[in-house]
Amino acid sequence: MSAVTYLEAIGQAIREEMQRDEAVFLLGEDVGTYGGAFKVSLGLLEEFGSERVIDTPMAEAAIIGSAVGAALMGMRPIAEMQFIDFITCGFDQIINMANKMYWRSGMPVPMVIRGPSGGGVKGGPFHSASPEAWFFHAPGIKVVVPSTTYDAKGLLKTAIRDNNPVLYLEHKLLYRLPELREELPTEDYVVPIGKAIVRREGEDMTILTYGAMVHQCLKAAQTLEQEDDLLVEVIDLRSLSPLDRETILESVKHTNKVLIVHEDTLTGGIGAELSAILAEDLFEYLDGPITRVAAPDAPFPYAPPLEAAYLPSVEKILTAARKLAAY
Amino acid sequence: MPTPIKMPRLGESVAEGTIGNWLKNEGDWVERDESLAEIITDKINAELPSPVAGRLTKILVKVDETVPVGVDIALIEENADVSTSPPNEPAPGPDAAPIENPDRANVMVMENSGISDGNSSKASTRATSAHVEERQRISPLARRLAREHDIDLNAIAGTGIGGRVRKEDILAYVAQRQEAPAPVGAQFNAPSSPSLEPTYISPAPASVGAQFIAPPSPASTTAEDDGIEVITPSRMRLAIAEHMVRSKRTSPHATTVVEVDMTNIAKWLEKNKEDFKKREGYSISYVPFVMKAVCEGIRKFPFMNSSWTEDNKIILKKHINLGMAVATDAGLVVPTLYDADQYTLAGLAKQISTIAQRTRANKLTIQDLQGSTFVVNNPGTFGTILSVPIINQPHAGILSMDAVVKRPVVIEDDAIAVRYMMYLCLSFDHRILDGAGAGGFLQSVRTKLQSYGREIDVY
Repeated sequence: MSAVTYLEAIGQAIREEMQRDEAVFLLGEDVGTYGGAFKVSLGLLEEFGSERVIDTPMAEAAIIGSAVGAALMGMRPIAEMQFIDFITCGFDQIINMANKMYWRSGMPVPMVIRGPSGGGVKGGPFHSASPEAWFFHAPGIKVVVPSTTYDAKGLLKTAIRDNNPVLYLEHKLLYRLPELREELPTEDYVVPIGKAIVRREGEDMTILTYGAMVHQCLKAAQTLEQEDDLLVEVIDLRSLSPLDRETILESVKHTNKVLIVHEDTLTGGIGAELSAILAEDLFEYLDGPITRVAAPDAPFPYAPPLEAAYLPSVEKILTAARKLAAY
Repeated sequence: MPTPIKMPRLGESVAEGTIGNWLKNEGDWVERDESLAEIITDKINAELPSPVAGRLTKILVKVDETVPVGVDIALIEENADVSTSPPNEPAPGPDAAPIENPDRANVMVMENSGISDGNSSKASTRATSAHVEERQRISPLARRLAREHDIDLNAIAGTGIGGRVRKEDILAYVAQRQEAPAPVGAQFNAPSSPSLEPTYISPAPASVGAQFIAPPSPASTTAEDDGIEVITPSRMRLAIAEHMVRSKRTSPHATTVVEVDMTNIAKWLEKNKEDFKKREGYSISYVPFVMKAVCEGIRKFPFMNSSWTEDNKIILKKHINLGMAVATDAGLVVPTLYDADQYTLAGLAKQISTIAQRTRANKLTIQDLQGSTFVVNNPGTFGTILSVPIINQPHAGILSMDAVVKRPVVIEDDAIAVRYMMYLCLSFDHRILDGAGAGGFLQSVRTKLQSYGREIDVY
């Protein structure tokens, strides 16, 4: 079996879950005949037919609302947002319907909303969103962010099998990255939701990150070891909601310094909540200020130089890490 | 439960202190902030204000004894007459005092200045000690570790930004303490102060250190039969010795000299010096003129005001804080004249006069001994005509002004005239500057000094 891309791993997960369980189906814009805007669902229409691979109108509220209804009737819908930016059109269906249904009626809502998120591909203000903080804040929906090909497949399978709503944020920059190509196990496997993973062990500082930023942080960590003799632990959160507090706290207890890196904007982001948790639980273990590197509080820019300046980079991570190390 | 009074940290790199005198006896009642003892360190002598009110029940360290910073030196029983304090109330931890003290100390200073006007020196001592405690920076983790290891934070020199005490500082201290369990002598041999790291000490100074511990009095001398006398240097002498050796080893010194025609300044001083002193109450000399010229030179050659760091960076300093070497009976000290470039000639003269007085009266504060960026030295007062100074670390250079003497000089048109001449010697760190930069700087200083006419506006 040959190495597959992050994108192909997502397609594999959908196909295998649809083969495994007849209740699983895919709906979204251009997911059928066109095979998906990024070709995630290429070939699924031919294999499973138009009743299980449904091309919808350009109406996210309808896509998500239909998915909620189908889930309540015992189906396991996968609702694709062509770009995750447009999930906002279906916001009410998520917050007021999907999230609250199990809490108020006891009826599970086994559905997945997934779509390409993140920037770095010159997509401009409407095709580069990192919307995790809105849903991270809302009780009733899980949020997962795979950073590797293995996790992309394993986390999506777990999301589909979960009995309540999961927001699955795939990063479009990682879709076809050659260095993320990976040979996946031939047998069925899953990656649990709520479990972070230590991507690199270290003792001088912990970097908490997720998504495409994992790879920037790993590069920065390597530089810090070579140039600064600093051993930096990099934790890929993978699951934002629920957070793996155990892994996070254990690491920071050991390293005593934390740098949080995310692509989403700074204010009220995942980093803000992580900071609060660390300050509340580990105050007496901190040897320096909890530090964040994130996008500035501004809409995503279009111009390539602006985009490069806007996104957290290896250089920004290095600067922040060095300052924190010297503190 | 009595409150332990600890040897304070009087200065950034000071690791221990000597009791100069106890100002209270056992059994005496002490008010909060009342002076308890005189403390002598390498850098400064100060009175120790009591952090609490109570009865001095026990003096633990005798006069002339030297102990590391943070060691208990006395016990004060608070509530000595009202013994209702809960018995298991913890003694104030290292962090208790810094949080409480600054406010109250400030109040005390104000009260004090209101009550007794002539006692300003005490007030400044108090303000200084409160200031030092306030400056103690420490990470939450280090604070917890210090508590768990029962470490007095004042005993630790922080290595983080701004001198912050952080994890590695505590762990290093613990490791060092384990290596050297004997409390006083051993710690003294391996002080945590970065300026006295054991690595600096080659075999000869180590024996000096050993002698230093042995006699009870630092000034004691031993007469020998074979016609020599072994003298144990004073603390200040030892500190100067260490600094000089370190400076010579750290910076490749190069020295360059210019000759300056000071005639106009000399004549102005001859004419106006007396009036100036009568009018202003302080003297004016050549030194403010040289300092002024140095400030202008530094602006043109900013690398003169910089430091070469251990990790091979150059730190350029925006503030020009001139150290001025002042001879005292005990030895040389170099107090700081902050932001020297902001003063007029008269302003500089006033600052110089104030600082020199404070120095000779032994009233320097810690602030006075920190933060200088360049030194102007004036051995010329001793009549020297050419001096090669050693850099005051971590500066980039040091300027010596020698005596202004009348010399026959060839002036314009090849005429020979009697002029007031002075040599300026600049030693500079050749890592930072080359001859061109140093020479340019000296040239600038000379041009400025020779630019004065017969009439000089010093305001």
